[in-house]
Amino acid sequence: MKVNLDPDQGVAGRIEVDGLTKRFGDVVAVDDLSFTVEPGSITGFLGPNGAGKTTTLRMLLGLVRPDKGRASICGVEYVDLPAPATIVGAALEATGFHPARSGRDHLRVYCTVNRLPKRRADEVLDVVGLGQAKRRKVGGYSLGMRQRLALGAALLGDPAVLILDEPANGLDPDGIVWMRRFLREYAERGRTVLVSSHVLTEMQQLVDRVVILNRGRLVREATLAGLSEGTSSVLVRSPDPTGLTAALDQHASNGTRARRLGPDLLEVTGTTAAGLGHIACAAGIELHELTPRRTDLEQVFLDLTGTLETEPS
Amino acid sequence: MPTLIAGEFQKLLTTRLWLWLLLGAMALTALYASLLLGFSDDPDTMTAPLHTAAGQQTLFAVAAGGANTLTAVLAAIGITGEFRHRTATATFLATPARNRVVVAKLVTYALVGVGFAFACLVVVAIIAVPWLSAMDISLSLTGNGLPGIYLGVLSDTAIFGLLGVGLGALLRNQVATVVGLLLYRFVAEPIVTNIPAISEWTIYLPGSASAALTQVSLSTQGYLEAWQGGLVLAGYGLALAAAGSLSSVLCDIT
Ligand SMILES: Nc1ncnc2c1ncn2[C@@H]1O[C@H](COP(=O)(O)OP(=O)(O)OP(=O)(O)O)[C@@H](O)[C@H]1O
Ligand SMILES: [Mg+2]
Repeated sequence: MKVNLDPDQGVAGRIEVDGLTKRFGDVVAVDDLSFTVEPGSITGFLGPNGAGKTTTLRMLLGLVRPDKGRASICGVEYVDLPAPATIVGAALEATGFHPARSGRDHLRVYCTVNRLPKRRADEVLDVVGLGQAKRRKVGGYSLGMRQRLALGAALLGDPAVLILDEPANGLDPDGIVWMRRFLREYAERGRTVLVSSHVLTEMQQLVDRVVILNRGRLVREATLAGLSEGTSSVLVRSPDPTGLTAALDQHASNGTRARRLGPDLLEVTGTTAAGLGHIACAAGIELHELTPRRTDLEQVFLDLTGTLETEPS
Repeated sequence: MPTLIAGEFQKLLTTRLWLWLLLGAMALTALYASLLLGFSDDPDTMTAPLHTAAGQQTLFAVAAGGANTLTAVLAAIGITGEFRHRTATATFLATPARNRVVVAKLVTYALVGVGFAFACLVVVAIIAVPWLSAMDISLSLTGNGLPGIYLGVLSDTAIFGLLGVGLGALLRNQVATVVGLLLYRFVAEPIVTNIPAISEWTIYLPGSASAALTQVSLSTQGYLEAWQGGLVLAGYGLALAAAGSLSSVLCDIT
């Protein structure tokens, strides 16, 4: 089995998920899910609680056996990677630590089994800001400290692909800012970063692409910009709304659509404020107001995942 | 594989549990040995007189009784702890071929068993040498078939390491595994092996096989030849190890 880390070869650093399906008893946790994640960017893996994010990541990493489908990293299934720690680093939700072992000893165990020099443990502990606490038992660590330790474990092998499940949970604001910057640098070195979260706003400032999941199914795979595309609109007020509608209809082939909101108010989608102004000017129609309206990403996420209506509380 | 075994030893030695269980095994051995020495004059004693080879063999064989169950407990805690503390995720991420992890643990805890057994044999020697000399009984640590007993004790305890790993891998629940192990060893098997009607069958149980291997039994029933006991016990060890390995390869780590 050949692992391809050569960037010219297409699959280097790419994650491919193809038709993954997993049931737990009656619950379909993941349902025929397919998506790809490309290197050199940060991909957000989003979905409400119970959407199947963790289950998907665990299938990708060979920890949970899919009922159907397959997933590969650099063109190879995780279980066939020869030295996984140097290719993929993962920090999963509910990754455990032995409470009586120190953070440093925990990492040193995995240095041994991954054939990495022991000093890597101290290096990554400094990177994740646990240099002071590393000799203490993990049982006494706070939630944020455990998150940092899990991230440290993922970084041990300086992997080409980083997979993090809800890494911001429990991190303080400084920690979150630090992590954002860290992941950005990581991706800029041409590496693959996949980060799951159930909070879109948390991801908005971090990710380049999103894969959105709801009830185990893919609902959207897009760039962050693409996600708001088609949902942003322009509000326009004109004394001649009928004429303006007619003028806009001639551009319907470009996806421009107008909707009457009031006697002199239209909401136009599929064009920008500038584009709309140009159409109006060319048609000689007077405008009184031209307001770009950007739908909140949070709203897009809620609309896509339908959390508000479907999640019983 | 050597790196995985080294990793398992590192896991074991970075917490203190092994030390407590080793001390427990040594204390238990000291207790057994002292009881045997103290009651050797008792007319009701079931053991052979201590000036005979058989008596001295029995004395050293108590090291197995002190070491084997606690080795199995340590082994069971070692593997079920991966599931209880959810370190299985990190472990199987590092080594996706899970049966290699189970094999590394089997080797590790077999070696731990050898170490425990050795320490307990030393405990017996430390107690027996002055005690017997005070009783004017001569004892040669290399004579009277004792080396064969040492070998039996070492292999018996090593196989208990395999049993602990195998059972733990199969059940994965720490409390159930440890409680089950202790109940079986100290309650269930002693009861059934003392039922004469089924003694033909019970000589094949793990505890009886273990007693056969070291030729010590506190039950009134007979037992197999040492080599037969060794084979039967190893059979249990390997069967449990195989079943445990298969079951942890198939399970979902969530
Ligand atoms: N081991 C398991 N046994 C039974 N059901 C499970 C198991 N693991 C997950 N599930 C179910 O599968 C579904 C998906 O769970 P999963 O943990 O993948 O969601 P998630 O997107 O990670 O959620 P969260 O945002 O809360 O972490 C849920 O309905 C969950 O109850
Ligand atoms: Mg989750």
